[in-house]
Amino acid sequence: MYPLTYARARTLSEARELLAKHDEARLLAGGMTLIPTLKARLAAPSLLVDIGQVQELQGIEAKGDRLVIGAGTRYVDIARSALVKRMIPALAYLVSRVGDPQVRNRGTMGGSVANNDPVADSPAAVLALGATVRTERREIAADEYFKGLFETALAPGEIITGFSFPVPARAAYWKFAHPASGYAMAGAFVADFGGAVRVAVTGASSSGVYRWKEAEDALGRRFAPAALDALEVSPDGMSSDIHGSADYRANLVQVMARRAVDAIAAGR
Amino acid sequence: MAAAFKGRREDRRLVSGGGRYTADWNLPGQLHAAFLRSDRPHARIVAIDAQAALAAPGVVAVLTGEDTLAEGIRNAPPMLPYPGRGGQPIKLPPRSVLATGRVSHIGQEVAMVVATTALAAADAVERISIEYSDLPAVIDAEAALAPGAPLAHPEVPGNVCFDFDYGDEARVKEIFAGAARITRVKLDSQRICGVPMEPKACLASYDAQQGVYDFWSSTQGITMMRGSVAGYGIAPDKVRPRAQDVGGGFGIRSGAYPEYIAVMIAAKKTGRPVKWVGSRSETFVSDHHGRAIRLSGELAMDEDGHFLAARYEWVCNQGAFPSGPGPLINTVTPKLTPNGVYRIPAVYGRNRLVLTNTTPITAYRGAGRPDAAYLLERLVEEAARESGIDRVELRRRNLIPKDAFPYTTPTQSAYDSGDYEALLDEVLARSDWEGFEARRAEARARGRLRGIGCAVFLEPAGGAGPKDQAMLKFGSSGEMTLYSVTGPSGQGHETVFPEVVGRELGVPPELITLRASDPDGPPLDGFGTVGSRSMGAHGGAALLAAREVVRKGLELAAKELEVAAQDLEFAGGRFRVKGTDRSLALVELARRHAGKGAVHPLDATADNAAGATFPSGAHVAEVEIDPRTGAVEVARYTGVDDCGVVVNHTLVEGQVQGGIVQGAGQVLGEHCVFDEGGQLLTGSFMDYAMPHAGLIGELRLYDHPVPSPRNPLGVKGVGESGTTGSLPTLMNAILDALRPAGVRQLDMPATPARVWAALRAAAGARQPPRG
Repeated sequence: MYPLTYARARTLSEARELLAKHDEARLLAGGMTLIPTLKARLAAPSLLVDIGQVQELQGIEAKGDRLVIGAGTRYVDIARSALVKRMIPALAYLVSRVGDPQVRNRGTMGGSVANNDPVADSPAAVLALGATVRTERREIAADEYFKGLFETALAPGEIITGFSFPVPARAAYWKFAHPASGYAMAGAFVADFGGAVRVAVTGASSSGVYRWKEAEDALGRRFAPAALDALEVSPDGMSSDIHGSADYRANLVQVMARRAVDAIAAGR
Repeated sequence: MAAAFKGRREDRRLVSGGGRYTADWNLPGQLHAAFLRSDRPHARIVAIDAQAALAAPGVVAVLTGEDTLAEGIRNAPPMLPYPGRGGQPIKLPPRSVLATGRVSHIGQEVAMVVATTALAAADAVERISIEYSDLPAVIDAEAALAPGAPLAHPEVPGNVCFDFDYGDEARVKEIFAGAARITRVKLDSQRICGVPMEPKACLASYDAQQGVYDFWSSTQGITMMRGSVAGYGIAPDKVRPRAQDVGGGFGIRSGAYPEYIAVMIAAKKTGRPVKWVGSRSETFVSDHHGRAIRLSGELAMDEDGHFLAARYEWVCNQGAFPSGPGPLINTVTPKLTPNGVYRIPAVYGRNRLVLTNTTPITAYRGAGRPDAAYLLERLVEEAARESGIDRVELRRRNLIPKDAFPYTTPTQSAYDSGDYEALLDEVLARSDWEGFEARRAEARARGRLRGIGCAVFLEPAGGAGPKDQAMLKFGSSGEMTLYSVTGPSGQGHETVFPEVVGRELGVPPELITLRASDPDGPPLDGFGTVGSRSMGAHGGAALLAAREVVRKGLELAAKELEVAAQDLEFAGGRFRVKGTDRSLALVELARRHAGKGAVHPLDATADNAAGATFPSGAHVAEVEIDPRTGAVEVARYTGVDDCGVVVNHTLVEGQVQGGIVQGAGQVLGEHCVFDEGGQLLTGSFMDYAMPHAGLIGELRLYDHPVPSPRNPLGVKGVGESGTTGSLPTLMNAILDALRPAGVRQLDMPATPARVWAALRAAAGARQPPRG
C-alpha cells in the first residue's frame, strides 16, 4: 500500500465535501475490493473517505410495496434480515452466497454495485429485480445503471445511498462459484413479477451483468424449466480464461438459469 | 487400553495467538528489506540504475548481484550424490543470489533495497530503473526438449541438466517385445504451489566480532538450514539458525532461499539486523513450486494378467535452476519403488530433468512419491480396462505377498514389511465396494455420474541422514526436557515425542517438554523434518534416550537401594528390587540427584540410525459428477493405511487426512499456470484454487499396522502417504464416473471446466455432427 490519508465521514454531506475537495479521493465502504487493490499497490488515492459508519447509508425497511436497503448495509445483515427473507428470499440467499463469512461481515451491496465487477453477485439481483439505484442526487433505474465492465451510470463523486427493490411474486438466484475466487463463473437471477419475467446473468459475460431477453420472453410465455431448453446461449462475448472457455460459460448460463427456474418451480 | 487423547499440547499456544513465526521476531535497530524481482522470463540485464533508490528517504543500501558475488557467495549445488546416465554429472547453470547478467524467470530476485522501514524499502524498489534486453524463453518442459527450442541457459545445451536412468533397459525391451498385452498411459502431474499460510520471511543479524550470523526463518530443521546456507559458501559454524513455529513446511521450507542469503549479506554490510517479510504475491511467484512432471508409463502383462515388466519416462520441469532437493526427488525417489506394491520382475526408467524459464521446483508433500504412485496405479487401472480383468482382481493377482519381506525390488531397494492384500481386503469391506453399483444407479437417477476408484500404493519414507540424536535433560524436580533437531511444522511433535518418552519411562508425558531446534540447546546431530522421517528417526532417538535414562537409573537406584543393579527391574516408572516391594520412583531418584552440577547423572543422549521404511495403503474414493457443469464432488473416501506401529492415532489420522486433502487439492483444482510468455497467471487466491474444508464429504480412515524392523519404534512414515494415495485413488474414481459417458483420458486438475469439456468432446465423438 502507498501512504495515504484516511478520513472517516460521519454524514453523507461530510463525505461529499471530502470527495469534492480532493481530486484523488476514493470512497471506502466495506473495502473488500478496494483494500486488496491498495495492498497490491494497484491504486494510489490521496484520500480514503470511509463511509462505513454513515448512518444514512444503513438500514433495511419496507416502504410501501418495496424493499429498501441502505447502500452501506453489510451483507451479513441483509442475509440475516427477517424482512428480506420474507419479502425477497432470493435476495437474502444471493447475499448469503457472496464471498465468505469475513467478506459478508464487511462487504456491502453498495460497494459491490458501485464497483460493478463483472463476476459479482449483487448486480444480478439489482438488474433482475429492476431495482432503483438511489444516489445522493438522483434515482437511476437498474436498466440504465450498468454500463459494462466496471462501468456504471454514476458520475464522478456520486454516492449510492441505497436500493429500492420491487417485490417479485417469486424469484431465485443460482450461481456456479469460481473454483478459486468463489465469485460467479455464471450466476442467473430469475424474477417473476406475475407474467413479466426478468432474468439477469452475471459472471459469464466479458462485459458484465446483462439481461437475458430470450429467456425472459420464453419464461414470460410459459414459466417452466423446459421453456429454456430450446434456447441456445452463444459463446460470443463470454469470458474465456484458464478457468473456463467461452463455450463453458455459455453452457453454465443456460444451466444456472434453468436451475433457478427449477428452484422456483419446486417452491424452494 | 489407550488413554483418551487430550488434544495436542501445542494447540493452545497456536490457536490463541501464542505462536511465534518468522515475522514475529524483531531486533533492536533492525532495517527492512524489499526485493526487485524480474518481470520477464528471460532477458539480458543491460543496466541497473539504483541512484534514485539510494537517494530515496530512509534507504540505507541497495544490493545487486555483483555485491553478492563480491561477498564470495556461490551457486548452491543440489543434493545429488550420484551421476546420471552414462556417468554424466548434472549441468548447473550459473546462479547468483541476486541476478547477474541475465534474469531467468519471472519473480527472480534482481536487487534488494534496505531501508529504515518496510514501506521505504518497497517505495525505493520502484525507483530502481532496469534496462533489459529480452531473450527467447522456454516455459514448457516438453517444448524445451524439442530440437531448436530456445535455451533456458546457454550453458545447458538441449535444456536437459540431468539425464538419469535406472533398471535393466535391455531386459525390459526384450520382455515388451514378447508380451501378450501392453498398456500405455501418459499423464501430467501439474505444477502446484506450496501455499503455506506463513509467507517467506527472514531476519538476520551479524556478529562482526565472532563473524557469526544469527538467522531466523521458517524452517523444517535448523541443521538442514545450516547445511543449505553452507551450500552458498557460508560455513556451517558461522550461522546460528533459529526458528520456533512454522506456518506450513510441505518441503518448500527445507532449504535456504536466495533472499535469505541476500538478507544475511545486508546485515553484514550495514552492521544492523535486517528483516524481510515477503508478500503473498512474492510467495506465489518465488517460493519454489512442486511437481511439474510429464509421466509416461508402459506395463507389459501376460495373457493371465501377470505383470512382466514396466517402463517409465519422466520429463521433469526443474524451472530455471535445480533446487537443493529438486534433482534428488525426481530421480532416486521413483527408483526406490519402481514396482510399487506389485511383483514386476523387470523395470526401466528414464528421468530427464529439464531447465525452463520458470520458478524452480522443489520437494512438495510427497516429492516424487505421488507421481510414481499415480503413474503406476493409473497404468494398472487402464491395464484392467484393456484386458477385461476386474481391476481388483488384477491388483490382487500381482501384489507382493506378505511372506516376501524383506522384499528386494529390481532396483535393489529393500522394502521393510507390509501386507498389501490385507489392506486391499479391508478397504474393500470398509468402503462397501461390492455395493457400489446400486449407488451408481441411484446417482444416475438423480442425473449424476457416480464413480468408484481404488489404489494400492506404497512410498519410501525416512532413511535420509546417517543418524539422528535426541537428548533428555533432567530439571530440579524430576521434569525433563527433550532436545531434538526436528523442525515441526504442524505434525504434533510437542505432543507425541513426550508420549514416546513418557511411556518408556512410565511417567506422564506432561513431565517432558520438547525443545525442537533450540539454538541454545545441546549440539545434536540429525536431519530435519522431511521425507516423512521424524517419528522413525527423531522419535526413535527419543525412545533410545529414554532407554539410556533407565540404564543409568538402574546403576543409580542400585546405590540408593543398596542392592546390585542386576537385582533391580524397571517397570511403571519405578526401580524395584526383584521379588520385593522395595522400590524407588524414577522421578524421586531424579529429584534426589538434581542440582548437583550442570549435568544431571540421568541426562542421556542417544543416537538412532533409522533405515528407510515403506508405508503403504489401500484407498477407495467415490465421486459424483454433475455432467451439466462438470463439478466433481468427493462423496466418500475410505483409507486403510499401514504406517507401522501407531504411537498416537489422532496425530496419524490428522497426517493422513491432511495428506489426502492436499492430494485432492492437486486432483481437483490446484494448478500453477505460466502463460506462453512466462507470466504467472495464478499469482493470487483469485486464480489459484485451494482445497476447502468441505471438499471431501465423508472421510474414514483406519490403521492397519505392520511393524517396521527399521527403527526402534516400529513406525513407518506417515506425513506424505495420504497425498501419495489420493492422487491415483481420486483420478481412478473420476475416470470411472466418466467412462460410461465415453471419457477415457483426463489430466489433473479435474476442474469443472475440464471435466465438462471432456464430456462434451466424448459426446461429440459419439454423435456425428448434425447437418
